[in-house]
This record gives sequence, structure tokens and C-alpha cells, in this order.
Amino acid sequence: MKKLLILCLLAAMLTLSVQAFAHSPLMSCFDNGDGTVTCEGGFSDGSSAAGVSMHVKGADGNVLIEGKMNQDSEFTFNKPEGAYTVVFDAGEGHSVVIDGSNIVE
Amino acid sequence: MKKRFIMLLTVACVLAVVSSAFAHFMVVYTPEIAFEQAEDMDVRILFTHPAEAGHMMDMGGVEEFYAVFQRGDSEPKKIDLKGHLKQIEWTNPGSKAPAFAGVIPRKEVRSMGDYVFVMKPGYYFEKEEDLYMQQITKVIMNVGGVPGNWSEPVGLPCEIVPLIKPYAMWTGNVFKAQVLSEGKPVAGAEVEVEFMSHMPDLKTNSMPEASSVEYPHDAFITQTIFSDDNGYITFGIPKAGWWGFAALGIGPDTEHNGKELSQDAVIWVKAVDMK
Repeated sequence: MKKLLILCLLAAMLTLSVQAFAHSPLMSCFDNGDGTVTCEGGFSDGSSAAGVSMHVKGADGNVLIEGKMNQDSEFTFNKPEGAYTVVFDAGEGHSVVIDGSNIVE
Repeated sequence: MKKRFIMLLTVACVLAVVSSAFAHFMVVYTPEIAFEQAEDMDVRILFTHPAEAGHMMDMGGVEEFYAVFQRGDSEPKKIDLKGHLKQIEWTNPGSKAPAFAGVIPRKEVRSMGDYVFVMKPGYYFEKEEDLYMQQITKVIMNVGGVPGNWSEPVGLPCEIVPLIKPYAMWTGNVFKAQVLSEGKPVAGAEVEVEFMSHMPDLKTNSMPEASSVEYPHDAFITQTIFSDDNGYITFGIPKAGWWGFAALGIGPDTEHNGKELSQDAVIWVKAVDMK
């Protein structure tokens, strides 16, 4: 019985890891030109990024803004003063980091 | 004198026969359709025989030019792009005709996802066959690698719906698609296939005289395939570059201005060499 459980667990892990390989996280951000920035997220298999955690970090690594991707896989925030990075955090191996200096209109 | 006249007449007849062997293709051309990040897109729209840089035809203006955008399973969104087009003159070796050019600004296409570009032209009158032609044309573009509606119909009177990502094809892939008229599969549809062997030059708005392909026989210039009972077509892509597929006379409209109308569906796909 115990053996079966372990087998099941292994199978589940395999399935999960296969799924993890099959899609990669993607994010793209734009400066809206009105003091806000919008980031869009998604996965290479087309699955939604709704609910994925978002962090905006300052130059010192401190989290300035926290939030989640909305129903449309979008996250809009007020552009911080100075340098910043945006982190799309969908779990280990599934995060994307974009430097604020690369975010243009 | 008489001899020369007969010779000229013979040449003219042969030319007429040969030229009718070339397939008509509405060309909606932009150099790239797979973007990591969106850029301004330079677009040209012309009506010609692309495998031969053949006769340029007046498409009768543009009725509609838009994109249907979708990222993942979000709601598809229509983006009207007609306002970005202006009329130009396109020159091929031997002929000229009105065509259209435009730059689609990055802000219109900057979101990640699929953009199904749709161009519905006016009507072209083909004197030799005494009929009108209207080729409703699609090109599918992706930004950022998140797929969307590339395999979905966009609700055109007639269209070719791909079953393989049309912006991510390797040379040697098989292009598979379904031919639809009013949303229903068309069995036995005649589909002409041509390779863009004279790459459009966007600076001079022309196609060069030199071809990138040597055609061993006229039959190779326009390849013909038929859809199966469920409207599916398959075609192996032998060479990198742009391939056009035109399903002829499948649209619901069969008459224009009291004359016969051939309402066709066209799609352009691009294959890339594996390196």
C-alpha cells in the first residue's frame, strides 16, 4: 500500500514536471506615458497568468509594490522614482524579471 | 510582313495562355511575423502573381483592413488598421498598378499574443474571363511567444484556418489548414500555392526581375492541392520564405455588378530554415 502511494506520488511529480517544461513564463511591460506602467503576463502554451504574484523592487532590492495579475493577465502600477525591476513570480523556475530601464512607451 | 504578323500573333497567343496559367494572389506583406517585442510594422498590399513577379492588377481598393488580437484565452479584440494605409503605385517588371502601403505603429500591436491580420479588398475585374475576383487575405503575427487565436476562424465569408502555427514554421514542416466558407468546411476546394520567389522591395515598392527559384516547368509555378472531405489541406514546405495559399471561388458571394464573382480565401505563411 505504501509502495503504491510512493508510486502515485512519483507519477504525480513526473506529470507536474512535464507540465513545467512544456510552458515557459513570459512577460512584457510598457510605460503608459501617464506615470503608470502596465505589464502583461502569459505562458508559452497560452495558459492564463491571472493571479500570478507581481513585485516591483527598488534599486536596493526592497519590494515597493506587490500585487497580482488580473483576469486579463495584466498588472498596472504607478511608476516608481528611480531604478526599479518588475518580477513576474509564478513559482520556482517560472519567474521573469524585467529591468525598469528597458520599459518604454 | 504577313509572316511577321503571324509570328507576333503566335507570340501574343502563347503569352496569353501562359499568363492565365499564373495564379492570382492578394499579397499582404510585412518582413517579420514573429516578434519577441513589438515593432512598427511596414506593410504592403498588392495584387499580383508572386511566383513570377507577374502582372500587377488593380484590386479595387481596400474595403477592410484590421487585426483580431488575442492573448491566451482572453477575449479576442478587433483593431481597425485601415486608417494607416495609403495608396501607392507598385511596379513589377512589365506592369504597374495601384497598391497600398502603411506603417502599423508599435502601440497598436505591442501586446503579447496573436494578431490575425485581415485584408478585404474591393473587386478586380478580369477582362479575359469576364468575371470579378475578390481575395480575402489573412496573415498571422505573434508578439512575445504567448499564443492566441492563430487556429481560430475570425468569421470571414471564407477563410483558411491553420492547424500549425503559421508564424513558427520550419522549412520542411507540413502546412495543414482547414478551408471554410461561412464557417463550414469546404470539401474538394481547389487551393493554389505559390512561393514568393521575387521578394518585395519596400524601398522601391517593386518586385525584382530576378527569381530565387528556377522553375523546371510551368506546372511548378503554381502548385495545386485539393481539400479533403472535411476541408483540410496539407502541403509540405520545401523552402524557407513566404508561401501563399489561395482557395478559389469558395466564398458565398458569387455575383458582383451582374457578373460572375470568384470570392477566394488567401493565407500567407513564412517558413524559416533550422540552423
